[in-house]
Formats: sequence, structure tokens, C-alpha cells
Amino acid sequence: MAFVELRNVFKSYFLHGKRIDVLRDVSLDVEEGELVSLVGASGAGKSTFLHVVGTLDAPAAGHMTFRGRSVFDMNDAELAEFRNRTIGFVFQSHFLLPEFTALENVAMPALVRREDRAQAFRDARALLERMGLAHRADHRPGELSGGESQRVALARALVLRPALLLADEPTGNLDPATGEGIHQLLREVNRELGVTAIVVTHNESLARSMPRRLRLEAGHVFPA
Amino acid sequence: MRSAERQTDYRLGPLWVGGTLAGVGALLLGWALTVLGAWGPASVGLALSAFGFGPLLQALQGLGLLPLVRAMGETTAASPGALLWAGAGLWLLGWGVVAAGIRHRPREEAPSPAQGAPLHGRLQAERDFSWATLLTYGGGILAAELTVVLLQTALSAGVRLTEAAERSGPFSLPPAGAFLVALLAGMGVAFLAGALGAARARRLAAPEATLGILYLGLPLPIFFTLLHAIPSLSITFGPRLREVTYVAGLLGRPELGYWLVFTGLVLTLVLGITVGFVLAGSGRVDARMGYELFVARRHLEVFRPRFLLKLLGVLLLGILPPIVLFAVVRAAQAAVERTRIRMLGLQDPLKAAEALHRLKAKEQSPTQTMTTLSVGGVGVGVMALIIVMSVMSGFEGDLQDKILGINAHAVVYSYEGEIEPYEGVLGDIRKVPGVAAATPFIMNEVMVASEGNVSGAIIKGVDPATVTTVTSLDRDIVPRDAIQHLAHPEEILHRGDALGGAVAGPEAAGEGHGLPESLQDDPIIELPRGEAPGAAAPLPGILLGSELAHSLKVVVGDRVSVVSPLAGGLGPQGPIPRSAAFRVAGVFHTGMYEYDSKFVYILLQEAQRFFNVKGALGVELKVDDVDDARRISRRVLTALEGYPYRVKDWGEMNQNLFAALRLEKLVMAIILSIISIVAAGLIVATVTMLVLEKRKEISVLKALGVPDGGILKIFLAEGLQIGVAGGALGLGAGLAWCWFIAKVGIKLDPEVYYIPSLPVRIEWGQTALAVVIAVLVSFFASIYPALKASRVEPVEGLKAE
Repeated sequence: MAFVELRNVFKSYFLHGKRIDVLRDVSLDVEEGELVSLVGASGAGKSTFLHVVGTLDAPAAGHMTFRGRSVFDMNDAELAEFRNRTIGFVFQSHFLLPEFTALENVAMPALVRREDRAQAFRDARALLERMGLAHRADHRPGELSGGESQRVALARALVLRPALLLADEPTGNLDPATGEGIHQLLREVNRELGVTAIVVTHNESLARSMPRRLRLEAGHVFPA
Repeated sequence: MRSAERQTDYRLGPLWVGGTLAGVGALLLGWALTVLGAWGPASVGLALSAFGFGPLLQALQGLGLLPLVRAMGETTAASPGALLWAGAGLWLLGWGVVAAGIRHRPREEAPSPAQGAPLHGRLQAERDFSWATLLTYGGGILAAELTVVLLQTALSAGVRLTEAAERSGPFSLPPAGAFLVALLAGMGVAFLAGALGAARARRLAAPEATLGILYLGLPLPIFFTLLHAIPSLSITFGPRLREVTYVAGLLGRPELGYWLVFTGLVLTLVLGITVGFVLAGSGRVDARMGYELFVARRHLEVFRPRFLLKLLGVLLLGILPPIVLFAVVRAAQAAVERTRIRMLGLQDPLKAAEALHRLKAKEQSPTQTMTTLSVGGVGVGVMALIIVMSVMSGFEGDLQDKILGINAHAVVYSYEGEIEPYEGVLGDIRKVPGVAAATPFIMNEVMVASEGNVSGAIIKGVDPATVTTVTSLDRDIVPRDAIQHLAHPEEILHRGDALGGAVAGPEAAGEGHGLPESLQDDPIIELPRGEAPGAAAPLPGILLGSELAHSLKVVVGDRVSVVSPLAGGLGPQGPIPRSAAFRVAGVFHTGMYEYDSKFVYILLQEAQRFFNVKGALGVELKVDDVDDARRISRRVLTALEGYPYRVKDWGEMNQNLFAALRLEKLVMAIILSIISIVAAGLIVATVTMLVLEKRKEISVLKALGVPDGGILKIFLAEGLQIGVAGGALGLGAGLAWCWFIAKVGIKLDPEVYYIPSLPVRIEWGQTALAVVIAVLVSFFASIYPALKASRVEPVEGLKAE
């Protein structure tokens, strides 16, 4: 049994009253520790696919199991816990919470998990230090540069040591040099922590550097 | 997607037939009602059926109201009854046929590619309607109402609940206390039902709640309202429900009481539903508030000391002046700053741009302004409620003090007129638990005449030894021990001495003895006093109210005559008046014009002699708990074994006055609560704006693993923060204003109000209630936006910018 198994997943959205089927009968297996890239044309449904896997969006139909456990049958609280404990998200924009400092942003998942407050902040600070952001810990997102923000966002995604990292064009808003730094970090995380990662990207060099490559087209996922 | 959409077919045949049948049924019903002459009550039923939806339910309701119609109809003839049934039956049948003519069928469509695939769990969990939830909510509200009614009856009627209670005496509470306990218990039931229902259904289930309240909650308050309108109902159920109707009657308008209690129970049910949904709506019970509060506080930041102090200042200084002042100062500042920037701009555009940026950074965001307004609004509402309620309590308390000061808490009369001998009765009464003191009295109407003036008065013969234990006649009386002088007329001060205050008693008495001629030279009364005219007995004493003394132009030591037109008995030419001379022993002041201008007091024995009675006309009581006077009176009556005695308590004697006061206060509170409703609107707007502003953050939080319930809690906490901050501000400002009014005082025209300045009495219960209401209102107000927030789809907020 694969680490993540998707079976017959359907998802459509509605535009001007018309139904657009973005995922049609998608089935996919991802093994533990894999680093997968997903490419596709704009609007092909890459983000939707990632949201469905991350349980942020409910598919119309289909099955997904995670380590053999059926995910789509969970209720809201269980889904939230699943996202909190097993999934780390990184988005194209950093999506940090603007009212909170970098440190508080990184500690937030642990707080949501209701871990001890002091411990959560210690862990968050340690992680920021490892990422070379200790001096920016008490700054709010508005005062951070693009690359710094994205690294804080990555730290927030990783602070609870998720089993699955879902990255949606993490370097889309960054210049090539800064983007390369994020790529480096992603590969390190995959290698050192053994985190399984699915990375949606437009960046050809990043996609080529991944061990497994997928392409989303016409509602189906093909190996690329 | 599934082919869930359906089409509706209308078959014309059944529609026509059913419509005709129903029409004939309606005509028959109308005819039957006309024959019965029961259109009046039936229209009540029709009005009630406006709550129902669908003709079927209306017809059922109509049938359910038949017994009522019959109870009210004058005729009980059988034939209109049959007509009624036939009409109702046809009416139902017709609608049934109509319903059969309407068919839903699935829309035909090409099969979707997902045909047969399993439905996602979250979509599966969406259910439209649950009868179990409806029954939980409806049953809950009904059970809560029954709890209030039954517990109220049980507690105040003294039902023995356990053996232990039996041993320690009957388990019974004063009516107001019993009502409070019953109300709290009922609210508990409603809350639990709501919480359980919502936790089980994992949704708010508004349709179920509405239907449950309409069909199971409304009948009881409607029944109670009709109880007062329909005599036959009142005869059947009135005695059994007397405890409930009594408490409601304390308001003067019992219906208002029932509906207020009903509203309270519905609100508690809704509160329970919300709490149940918040705690368990996500599928797991989670009452903790860790990160939720952290996020909520960062979003709003209402508990900054400077912010709160500024708002408190605005509330304390009369709201408008500080705002005007603030606006003027800000305008001046801005003018100065912009002029400076303009000057800078001529020299160094970069510096000017920086200054402009700083100026703009100082401006508040719309959400901050809204937050300030909402907190201020809640604060104003609470403050107004506290001040007005305290002043009204002040007036009420003042009035009650004055009435109870001069009147007893309860009076025992006899249907036989006189209580004779009264000593035994007095002893029996004093033994009743709850009775603090008792004193006999004789009361009658007389004329009081001085040298120049005459005035009608109510004369009361009292026992100086015990009268002060029952009434506070001695509270404001000149001279201080004037009441004791009644028993010792030789000690009564002479004219001019009273002002001296501490005149030595014996000396004054000596002078009194030295002037026996005043007895003979009575210019008003020709008749010598009944007994021993030659003896140098001093004139008996009399106490006058200050207004009466003023209008008679007498002071302490002066003589007055008391004339009773009837006390002399019946002579050949009709009733013979009797008169006697008294010396003014003291002047009392109660502050109530009615008492100060009408009441005079003499010694009980003098009154017995004057009115020719042997005993007393009644016994006045003082009870330990003023609010429990009614029950203690009943106990006294039981101790006296009923007839010929009867007991009236002060509430009964002044029922209309206090009912009017209470109603006035209640209406005032309701009107002032409108401010809170406006504030609630502000809170809805503020939290909605927050939700719109934070869509992205909500999505991110959900991605981080916050369940819908967590989002709900965050935004409820934000609304609650506004309520708590506003409530605290209002409490502070309200108490400060009350303190100001009490200490500094606002002068009143004593001619009109009989009180020198605005009275204030802070009742902690109602003050706390004002704050609690504000907090609850803000909680209710934030439910809707918080629900909206919890339903934000994470995907929407996470779209790349």
C-alpha cells in the first residue's frame, strides 16, 4: 500500500454557470520519501489538485488514503487535525499572518495543536535559527523581504515535521537566485528529514531536478 | 455532479378537484362558525395559524382549537358540530388531493463521468432536516417552560421534596425567590437541550429550531395569555396556576411577564445551540481557547489601556463635548501638519513625501474606527441602562421606604369590626415565624381643629411601647421622644420649648401641671372632658404630620380639638358629634405629602375612650423579609384560624402603585435596550468587516489545521471582546455617574417631587444584569459573522494574488 493513494478523484468548479471538470478520474500513488514535481498549463487544475490532496478542497467524488487510512471520510475536526499533523503547505505568496511576528507565525501550527506555548516558541526559534532567520524572528511579515518571507513560510510548514509537504509554486514570486535558494532548501528537507513532497511549479529547471515528474492535462495526471 | 436537480409537474385534474373540495370545506366551516357565532374565537385560531406554513397545518391547528371554540361558544348544539367536522374534513381532503397532483421527478440528463463513484464524506454529512433535532429543540423549550411553571408552583406552595426537608420545615421560598430559582432551572433545561441538539446534529439547524419553538414553545405562553382573557379557562386552571399568575401579576401586565420569560428561554436555547455547535460542531468536543484568543486579541486589540481610558473619558464627560473637542484638536493638528508638508514640499519633495506617509500611517483603518464605535456603543447602552435603572430604583426605594415607614408591612383586621381582647391575638401573631413585631391600633376619620383652622385627618390610636417596633414613626419627629409623651402627657413640651431641643423634661412637665386652667378655658369645646373635670389632669397628647401642623398653624405644646361627627352615638336628631381637646406632643415628617397632611396619632386608650371601643380595630405587623410579606400574612391568618380575621399585606394595599412602578421600570429597560440593539448592529457590521478583511488569514489558518469550530471561536471571541470591553466601560462610567449623582446631587423641585435631590440606589443585581445583557447581545451579534467566517472556503482565500 502506497503512502498516499488517490483513486478516481473527480473535481469540478463552476464558471459563469458552466461546469468545468478540472480533475477527471485522477488516480495516483506516491511513495514515502518521494520528491514529486507537477507541471501543467495555467488553469489546468494543479492548485486544485494540491488543495484536494491537502484536504482544503472537497472533491466531488473519489477516495484518498494516507498510510492506509481513508481521508475523505473524516469529519471536519479530523480533517483539520490531519492537515495540522501530517501536511505542510507552502504557497506562491507566503501567506503569513500579518498581525503576527515571524516567530509567532512559525509557532502557530504548534499552538493550533495546543502544544505548550513556551515549548512552541522555543521550537519555532530554533527552526528560524537553522534557516538563518534568527535576527528577523520578531519582525512582522510587512518588514521582511520576499525571500525571507518565503523561508519563514517554509519554516512554518515544517515546524511540526509533517509527513507530506505540498508546495504550490513556492518560487513563483521570487527572482531566480532567491528561488534557487528555496529549491535548495526543499531538496535538503526531503533528503535530511525524509519529508515526502509534491511541488507544483512552472520552473523547468526545478521540475527537471526532481526525481519524479508529473504533468496535469485535460483533467488527467500523466508521468512527464 | 450528481443529477440531484428535480423537476416539478403539475397535474391539472387533481388540482381543480382538490381546490373545489377545499373551497366547499371552507364554506362549510364558515357556515358552521356563523351558526355557532364563534367567529371571534375562531379568528384567534386563524391568527395563530399564521405561524404555520401550509394549509394542512393550518387545518390541523384549526381542529386543535375546536375544544377552545366550543368552550367559548354559547351554544353546544350538535348539528353545527357535525357541520364543523364535515367542513374541516373536506378542507383537509381537498388539500390532500391538491398535494397528490403535484409530483417531483428527477431531471433527465446524460450520465456524468463520476456516476457510481463514492460521494465525498463532507458532502455526505450535509443533511437537510432532522426530526430528532427538531424534537430536541422543541422538546427542550417546552420542557424549560414546564420546568419554570411546575418548579415555581412546587417551590412556593411548599411541597415537601424530601424527608430531610420535612424535618427542617416545609421547603418553600418567597414567590420572587421561587420564580428566580425556577427561571434559572428552566434556562438550564433550555440551554442543555440546545447544546445537546446542536452537538448531536453538528450544525446550528436553524429550520429545526424555528419550527420547534413555533410549534412546541409557543402554545404555553399563548395559553397563559388566553388564561387572562377567557373566563372559563381562568376558572378551570387559575387556582392551580395561581403562583405563576401572581408573580406575573406583580408587573401589572401579566402577559408581558409571560412573553418576557418565553423570550428569555428562547434566547437561552439559542445560546445553548450556539455553544453546542461551537464546542462540538467540528465533530469533536473542544472547549479550549488557546490560539483562538491569541488570534482574536491580535485582530482587535481593544484591551489597550490608552484606548479604554480615552473611551471612558468620552463616556464620563458627556459623549458629545469630548468628541467635538477631539475633532477640533485633530483638525487643527492636521492643518498645521499639512501646511508644514506643503512648505517642505517646496524645498525637498522626498522629505515631504516621507512626512505625508507618516501622517497617513497615523490614520485609523475603517475596521479600527468601527471597533471603537462598537465598543463605545455598547458602553453607552450599559451606562444609560445602569444610570436610569439606578435612579428609578432610587425613586421606588424612596417611595417604598416612606410607605413602609409610616405603614405596617401587614395589617390584621376582623370582619367583626373590633378585635377584643386583642392581647391574645397579639400573642398569637407574635409567635408566627417571620413576624418581627406587632402592635394594636384604632383608626378613624376625624376633623382636627386649631384656633384658626380646621382640617380633615385620619386619626390612629397607637400603643407607644410597640408602635415604633412596627413603623418608623420616630424617624423624623420633633421632639425626639414625642411618642413616649403620648403615654405621659404631663411631659409634653410647651409652646416655644420644642425648638430648644434638649429641654429638661421634668421642668417642662412641672410647667404643664401649673397650667390646669387651659382645660377650663377651652374656646372650642364647650363640653367638659368626660371624667373628673375638676382634676388637674393634663391634656392627652397628639402627634401631627408636619403639613397638617403647618396648615393648622400649631406647634408643639399648642392645643387642638379632634371632632368626630359620628362617635357620639345616635341622638334624637341624628348622630351626635363628639370632640376632645389634645395638646400637640410632637410633629412628624415622613416626606410623603399624603401622610404628613392627613395622619394624626394619639394614645390607644384615648382612642378607645373617644370612639367608645374596647379593643383594637386591627393589629399592624412588621415582618422580617419585606418581600415575603404576602406569605407571612397567610401564615398569620392560618395561626389565627381564619375567620373572622383577615390579613392584608403592604403589597396588596399599594398594589397598583408598585405594579405601575415596576412596569414603568421594565418598559424603560426595554426602551433603553434598544441602544444595545443598535450597538449589536454595529458589532455585526464590525465583525463582518473583520471577516471580509481576514478572508485570506482565515484560509491560511484552516490550512494550518484550524477546524471550522476554531474559526468560529476566534470570531465569537472578537465579538465578545467588544461586549466585554464595552460592558466594562459602561459599568465604570455608569457607576461613576451614579456616584456623582448621589454625592454631588441633582436638585429637584421639592414642591413637585418631595425629595430634595435625585435619588440613586444602585442595585447590584440589575447592574450586573445590564453588563451581562451587553455581553450576551454582543455574543449573539457575532454569531452570524462568525458563522460566515467559519464557512470561508480555504481555496478562495488562497488564490494566488
